[in-house]
Amino acid sequence: MNTAAGNLAPTASMDPGLRRDDANSPVLELVGLSKTYGRRGGGVRAVRDVSLSVGAGEVYGFLGPNGAGKSTTIRMLIGLIAPTAGEARLFGEDLRRHPAVLRRVGSLVDGGNFYPFLSGRRNLEVLARTQGNGAERIDGLLDQVGLAKDGRRKVKGYSTGMRQRLGVAAALLGDPDLVILDEPVNGLDAAGIQEMRALIRSLAVDRGKTVFLSSHLLHEVQQVCDRVAIISKGEIVRESTIADLLRQDDGLRLEAVPVETAAAALESRWAVERDGDSLIVRATRAEAPEVVRRLVGAGADLFRLAPEQRNLEEVFLSITQAESDDA
Amino acid sequence: MLEALSAEALKMRTHKATWFLVWLFPIAFTIIMLLIIGAGVMGFEAPDRPNAADWIENTTLIWFVPNNAIGRYLICAFVAVLFAGEYGWNTWKLVVPHRRRASLIAAKYALTILLLAISFTLTALLLTGLNLADDALTGDAVPAGLGAALLWDSHSKAALAALAPVLISIAYASLAAVLTRSTIAALVIAIVATTIEQVILGFGPMLYAKFPSIVWPLYHALPGHHISNLAEFIREGSALKREFPGGLVVDLGWPTSLAILAAWIAALWGATFAVFNRQDIN
Repeated sequence: MNTAAGNLAPTASMDPGLRRDDANSPVLELVGLSKTYGRRGGGVRAVRDVSLSVGAGEVYGFLGPNGAGKSTTIRMLIGLIAPTAGEARLFGEDLRRHPAVLRRVGSLVDGGNFYPFLSGRRNLEVLARTQGNGAERIDGLLDQVGLAKDGRRKVKGYSTGMRQRLGVAAALLGDPDLVILDEPVNGLDAAGIQEMRALIRSLAVDRGKTVFLSSHLLHEVQQVCDRVAIISKGEIVRESTIADLLRQDDGLRLEAVPVETAAAALESRWAVERDGDSLIVRATRAEAPEVVRRLVGAGADLFRLAPEQRNLEEVFLSITQAESDDA
Repeated sequence: MLEALSAEALKMRTHKATWFLVWLFPIAFTIIMLLIIGAGVMGFEAPDRPNAADWIENTTLIWFVPNNAIGRYLICAFVAVLFAGEYGWNTWKLVVPHRRRASLIAAKYALTILLLAISFTLTALLLTGLNLADDALTGDAVPAGLGAALLWDSHSKAALAALAPVLISIAYASLAAVLTRSTIAALVIAIVATTIEQVILGFGPMLYAKFPSIVWPLYHALPGHHISNLAEFIREGSALKREFPGGLVVDLGWPTSLAILAAWIAALWGATFAVFNRQDIN
């Protein structure tokens, strides 16, 4: 795989052609979107009543375990499969009635699907001719995704990561306003992941694009997304900003010496757990001054006190696990 | 639409299937002609003195390819690759979001017809040129009365007669491709359909003796007889008469055959568009 550092890094500044007409309306809106495969009676419900809204310039994460319905939702979003019920609206237009709105959308699904007997460059030429624009951007994009040297090689010789990079180039070929990326870091090495992260952020920050990103890699989503929806068993189980999702009001982590003295001073009021040299106290942020007073009163030296920060993985697992238990 | 056609052409022009199944015709006929010329030059072949009609017929052989089963199998194979290949390569996902589905299918139809037309025309030109070269090299006289007008008349009639079987073959294979999403399955179905049609055409009178109530309507409904009937009208100006046991004769006018063939082609092509338009691409 090509790992040229910085290749995926953004090269363009604010796009002068950026359309401002939808700045106040959602770029992407799903209303009760559902998909059932097979007959209604014995059919398989892949996606059920998914509703969400993504604003202009946002990087929106669509999280879920494998088989949760992420790819089915994305395929409905780009017109590959028809919803059984509900509506997908792009730039305020119902996709089924106005499929031409997809000209403003670039997408990467399934890690990039290309004609194996053509070179990477020729694949982009085919796509540019199909969509009627973008041919003049091919060289720049190949350079941007680190495939300038391999652009003339046949795609059948590409590694997974190279296909993924070509997929990103294909998604950006038409200079779309909305970029939909399905598992964009699959197959990339550490440097590639870092570059992809920078590219995704820059698409939104520097170029005003809206990015809808699906992933099961929670760390990536946590680093690049403004908001996330978590989908499990075909249903949205949580939607919020990353900050809200990670915020936990019922936990404080502290380091105090002697730790036994500190634990004894707090146990009478809150549940206390030992985690190495730290204590996790089941107290709210508002109760932090009271925690400090009790520690000082007991003669313990306090070195650190902070709200306990869960990572997205823990939140994700707790939410999807709860869903599984409920089922 | 032109953009989609241009993309399709760019995609397929270097694909092996195009070389094996489209450019095969000019390449194969050229090789055969060169062998014949070589045999003539080295004296392995007796001097030939055909009349103008026979001489021209030798140059129109390519237009008869779609009128026989093997030729149609080759056309079906190319169409199967062109249409079902997108499923195998998983590339519908790349192009479908960017263009109306109907225009993607229309571009495939247009490219198939365009490539076959170029290939057959090129082969016809090569055969004409090589026949002239053969006469020049072996000392055979060019038949009296041979001229551009006669060549054009013969070739245009032969090409017109080839149109219906080409369109029917494309129809079988394209519908099978979008229904099965598999190149092999599409090819098998198209071959089976072509074979059934040819068997009913070739052995209809014989089969009629055993299964009259099935064979008689099939013979009239399937495209086989109508393709041959139209070709007969184009070449000879009269209907193709087929005698069946019991004194029955199939003797249809060209409008009837044209209408039935048009209905077949419209139905199969229409079904291909309809199926693809409603299809989930997973």
